[in-house]
Amino acid sequence: MASLNVRVVSPQKIVFEGEAAALVAPAWDGDVGILPGHAPMLALLGVGELAVDRPGGGSATFHVAGGVLKVERNTVTLLTEYAGDTAPEVVPASATVFVEDVED
Amino acid sequence: MAGSRDVKRRIKSVENTRQITRTMELVATSKLKRATDRVYAARPYAGALHEIVAGLYSPALSEKYPILRRPETTKRAAVLLLTANRGLCGGFNSNLIKQARTLMEELRGKGIETELHIAGKKAVAYFRFRGEEMATTRTDVGDHPTVDDAESLIGPIRDRFESGAVDAVYLVSSQFRSAMSTPPHTRELLPIEGDPDAPSADTFILSPSGDMILERILPAYIRNAVFTALVENAAAEQGARRSAMKSATDNAGDVLEHLTRTYNRARQAQITQEIAEIVGGSAALE
Repeated sequence: MASLNVRVVSPQKIVFEGEAAALVAPAWDGDVGILPGHAPMLALLGVGELAVDRPGGGSATFHVAGGVLKVERNTVTLLTEYAGDTAPEVVPASATVFVEDVED
Repeated sequence: MAGSRDVKRRIKSVENTRQITRTMELVATSKLKRATDRVYAARPYAGALHEIVAGLYSPALSEKYPILRRPETTKRAAVLLLTANRGLCGGFNSNLIKQARTLMEELRGKGIETELHIAGKKAVAYFRFRGEEMATTRTDVGDHPTVDDAESLIGPIRDRFESGAVDAVYLVSSQFRSAMSTPPHTRELLPIEGDPDAPSADTFILSPSGDMILERILPAYIRNAVFTALVENAAAEQGARRSAMKSATDNAGDVLEHLTRTYNRARQAQITQEIAEIVGGSAALE
């Protein structure tokens, strides 16, 4: 079975890099689930927990806030402004998109 | 003999200096290692972010968002100069200052007003001494710059660009090619240039929309450019200091060798003279 290649990158460092069977990320308008074979996608991230399911079972979770999620050919890159084990103290501006802000 | 005592004192003094420069060299080497790690750790984010921004950017969007505006004529430009807070790092600071001065003269030559924003004690001291005007100064960015440092530096300048107070923003900092090569570098931060070679994001599902993603990501993109520059500058400073202190230590070694030789020659001359006196004295008695 194909798997996802996941990279979680913060401005300071690569927080996570590895294989995943699936992942659930907090997009600006709610959680988004990504499985292998997903169409290319760019989405803004909100604030919340990112769960990466490892191929052998088990999962890794991170708190992320703001930035973008990019999916392309089974490679998932999360460029997040914050990544850590606890929720961020300050929510970055790019993580504050509301449904009302989005036209049409 | 008075001469040899003076030389001995100089030897002692040069030895002390060499001890200090050698210690500074070692400290810079260990700081350089950590600073270099931070430079390399920060690169994946910058690279990936650039790719995304370049893929989403199109010149047509400049009407819609103030941060993407492309002024037809540049009346006023902001220059953000990053230097170190400390000296004893060779030409590091003065090269950066020179680069910024050249840039500002060039801009003024084109009839563009300039305003200078400075981070780093050394440049602040230089421009204050010259009595030149500085728009903002910061001296609290340390060896370990943070994203918040970058935001507080560039945030107000970015706002000025968006409001139309300045039409261009330049960043002067050191590139970190290697520990030995850290040339000063000027980068035009704003207005944003498109990258025609970048793969377009047309084939992507965009959520919420390309415009919205770009608008939210751009401030982070600009800030990250400054953050990367701060991190590279910090590493470049340590690299420059290590080289400067290494050559100072080597020079002190050369000086010591020369002084030791002078001292030995003086001592030898004194002994020879004493023997000559003894021999002369006993010869006179015979």
